[in-house]
Amino acid sequence: MSSVMQKLLTPVASGPAEPPRNKVTVVGVGMVGMACAVSVLLRDLADELALVDVMEDKLKGEMMDLQHGSLFLKTSKIVADKDYAVTANSRIVVVSAGVRQQEGESRLNLVQRNVNIFKHIIPQIVKHSPNCTLIVVSNPVDVLTYVTWKLSGLPKHRVIGSGTNLDSARFRFLMAERLGIHASSFNGWVLGEHGDTSVPVWSGVNVAGVNLQKLNPEFGLDGDKEDWKATHKAVVDSAYEVIKLKGYTNWAIGLSVADLTESIIKNMSRIHPVSTMVKDMYGIGEEVFLSLPCVLNSNGVGSVINMTLTDAEVGQLKKSADTLWGIQKDLKDI
Amino acid sequence: MYCHTPCGPWSTVVHYTWNRVPLGMQTKPDLCDELCLIDVMEDKLKGEVMDLQHGSLFCKTHKIVGDKDYSTTAHSKVVVVTAGARQQEGESRLNLVQRNVNIFKFIIPQIVKYSPNAILLVVSNPVDILTYVAWKLSGFPRHRVIGSGTNLDSGRFRHLMGEKLHLHPSSCHGWIIGEHGDSSVPVWSGVNVAGVSLKGLNPDMGTDADKEDWKHVHKMVVNGAYEVIKLKGYTSWAIGMSVADLVESILKNLHKVHPVSTLVKGMHGVKEEVFLSVPCVLGNSGLTDIIHMTLKPEEEKQLSNSAETLWGVQKELTL
Repeated sequence: MSSVMQKLLTPVASGPAEPPRNKVTVVGVGMVGMACAVSVLLRDLADELALVDVMEDKLKGEMMDLQHGSLFLKTSKIVADKDYAVTANSRIVVVSAGVRQQEGESRLNLVQRNVNIFKHIIPQIVKHSPNCTLIVVSNPVDVLTYVTWKLSGLPKHRVIGSGTNLDSARFRFLMAERLGIHASSFNGWVLGEHGDTSVPVWSGVNVAGVNLQKLNPEFGLDGDKEDWKATHKAVVDSAYEVIKLKGYTNWAIGLSVADLTESIIKNMSRIHPVSTMVKDMYGIGEEVFLSLPCVLNSNGVGSVINMTLTDAEVGQLKKSADTLWGIQKDLKDI
Repeated sequence: MYCHTPCGPWSTVVHYTWNRVPLGMQTKPDLCDELCLIDVMEDKLKGEVMDLQHGSLFCKTHKIVGDKDYSTTAHSKVVVVTAGARQQEGESRLNLVQRNVNIFKFIIPQIVKYSPNAILLVVSNPVDILTYVAWKLSGFPRHRVIGSGTNLDSGRFRHLMGEKLHLHPSSCHGWIIGEHGDSSVPVWSGVNVAGVSLKGLNPDMGTDADKEDWKHVHKMVVNGAYEVIKLKGYTSWAIGMSVADLVESILKNLHKVHPVSTLVKGMHGVKEEVFLSVPCVLGNSGLTDIIHMTLKPEEEKQLSNSAETLWGVQKELTL
């Protein structure tokens, strides 16, 4: 007796299903991972989404909740498993796994806890998606991007840290608020370490090509009557403030990761401040990852913009590099 | 029937004589809840409206209407004016003027009558002069009469810059201001990628001595329209998309900065009542602020020369 389906549909094309072209995997279904997943879904970036985590019930529940929204989405396949086979053929893998910052905890303190987790995840990702581009979000992101690069064996242009993409977005938002304009009309770059010692490149800050430092030579300095430097401090403090208020941050980081994903999947060659391998730039001798403006396209990092930095700014980058190397050299088994 | 709430339905009226802006605006679907088209050519108008309505399933704009009677346009939030004769091959924008002024003398008062609180967005060429004309004829405050100006020129420039550098246009920053047309002004000092000033890397940029001939990029922007007109008879898509970009900033109250044509008397050495493009902040009340650019003396001179040329034409108009 034929089923409803057999009565209803006459198949025309048979054979195995085509592999996905724009599959995105998110590793870690905590608040950040889910915010990344939802941002990617709402922007119609992926034709398949895979979620991986160790907490099986939570994982399944999140997957089902997303699947139930399928009617309103354009991503036809949403899967999840603790077995990494489910991640096969991904174009982009977002790594948000790991423990999060506790209130008052600096990012650098998280390190060894998260390295041990990565030693398990990264090889599995690469095994099932050897051609993917990895976007590392877990903190401390610059160190963990280095760790990921080492553990994956992938070329450096295919391992990116979300880096100061979010710091720059916060910077542009807070600065634009002071001027009553939209963040996208405010051009400013925060580079270097994602966190306490990020570097705002004051000399490049402009609106409609009008360089703000030329309007106010004290711009970004301590003597500045308008105290623009305070706005950068607010950027550094903002994660701590949000964590204090709601326990974690997730929406902004999720949206910023979707933004990076879009540039890569759509081969756009847009420039984003992301964490990349900076050895031999700006006098940095160690293998560290820091954020610089990178051209993102289907290769991952296509090229890096050579910034015209002041000596003080270069000094700050070098100092961050030294701090990061100080931590990295003591990490075990990578 | 649409609901007469105090904020009014956000309908956008397009007055067009050739099919460009409505379709350009479809690249930003769901900008408005009601779209109204107006023209004198009744059959063409009806055909265009029907064709758009047939796409309703794929859109979020629930009401698309068209009529030659301006009462259909009542309660519009934004009115885009593309009416008028278009440039013929080889014709400069300034030659179109009096033909289009006469058309405006008919349409502007009707728009104002039915949507006294609207924001006027003038696209018809020569746009800087016609924005002035629309301002005079409407009696609207200057923040509610905006010309599409060099928003498109800057878009063309950033596209060409992107091609030259193999980057996406949105990562290439460059501003073309002043007259929309032959004497537009590229502000070389502001051209940058990731905050890195390109003129800082190449001091000859924009001069005749420049081995990379960036000046040619600006020339291609100026000639871009003429070239497209020569090839396909008119330009439509890019201008439509650029107008949709402006409308989006207005309707969504984004406070984004765009180079659009506004009254610049008293700025950059301009003494006459003329409209030229400078970077402006657009929100739901219209043009809320102007960005004051730091221009080189020769750039300021170019602006004041444009102003004189435009005023030379404007003072001969019968409004």
